[in-house]
Amino acid sequence: MSRGDDIIHQQTRLQIMATLRALREDEAIEFTRLKAIVQATDGNLGAHIATLEGAGYINVIKDFVGKRPRTRVALTRNGRNAFARHVDYLRAILDRPAAPGQKDGGIS
Amino acid sequence: MELSPQEAASALRDIETAQQRSATLRSYTLSSPHLVLWGLLWVVGYGLTDLFPQHGRAIWAAIIAIGLVAGFAATRQGGRRAGWRYGAVALTMIGFFFAIFAVMSPVNGRQIAAVIPLALAAAYILLGISRGPRFIVTGVVIAALTLAGFFLLEQHFFLWMAGVGGAALILAGLWLRRV
Repeated sequence: MSRGDDIIHQQTRLQIMATLRALREDEAIEFTRLKAIVQATDGNLGAHIATLEGAGYINVIKDFVGKRPRTRVALTRNGRNAFARHVDYLRAILDRPAAPGQKDGGIS
Repeated sequence: MELSPQEAASALRDIETAQQRSATLRSYTLSSPHLVLWGLLWVVGYGLTDLFPQHGRAIWAAIIAIGLVAGFAATRQGGRRAGWRYGAVALTMIGFFFAIFAVMSPVNGRQIAAVIPLALAAAYILLGISRGPRFIVTGVVIAALTLAGFFLLEQHFFLWMAGVGGAALILAGLWLRRV
């Protein structure tokens, strides 16, 4: 069984990755829209985006629409693969037969 | 990292919720320009039909042609496949309405002008069942306004659809764009 990804597993980062995974491969999402989906503050979301960007899982694209600055976020191929592996890992935990006498399995 | 099945299940639920929200907002964003576009076309089309009812067919032939071309251009945001889907949906709708009016013939201009928005309203409600509640609200409002105009404002139905129906579509489009 593959190992879980500590960077992705944090709840907000997991939501960010899941949100980006729902987009088309060449598509990016605006920061404001991402903030509404994961329901985080600007600062909190910015910090998690920086962590994911540092891991090479996402790209941050800054540009202008007219005179208005725009920040968009997109999943990298590396991030897409890492997220798929993490989801496989989570599903594998649920598929794993429970040990006799053990109700919930695993150790946190 | 070692997780319990409960933690894994909770994480998978978070993923599903975020993906659902993302897909819903994406649908809203992609639909928004089409509603604004058709709202503007309703204002022009129904307005002109009210002024020149004898030219209703020519007016709507032009309005539909403009709407389809502009709508096809607006689908570029959704990718190449979205353009083909848009074309297929448009052809299906046109074929459907021709068939309906052929079967129901004779129908007058008011009936045609009411049936099309009602069918579109139903389509939005059906879309909303799987894609998000804002589509349902849009469909219900359009249907209610169309029925109200058809039954209560017989003499001014086209004007009603131009002003109130068109404005409702434009507002719905702007609402869908909001985060």
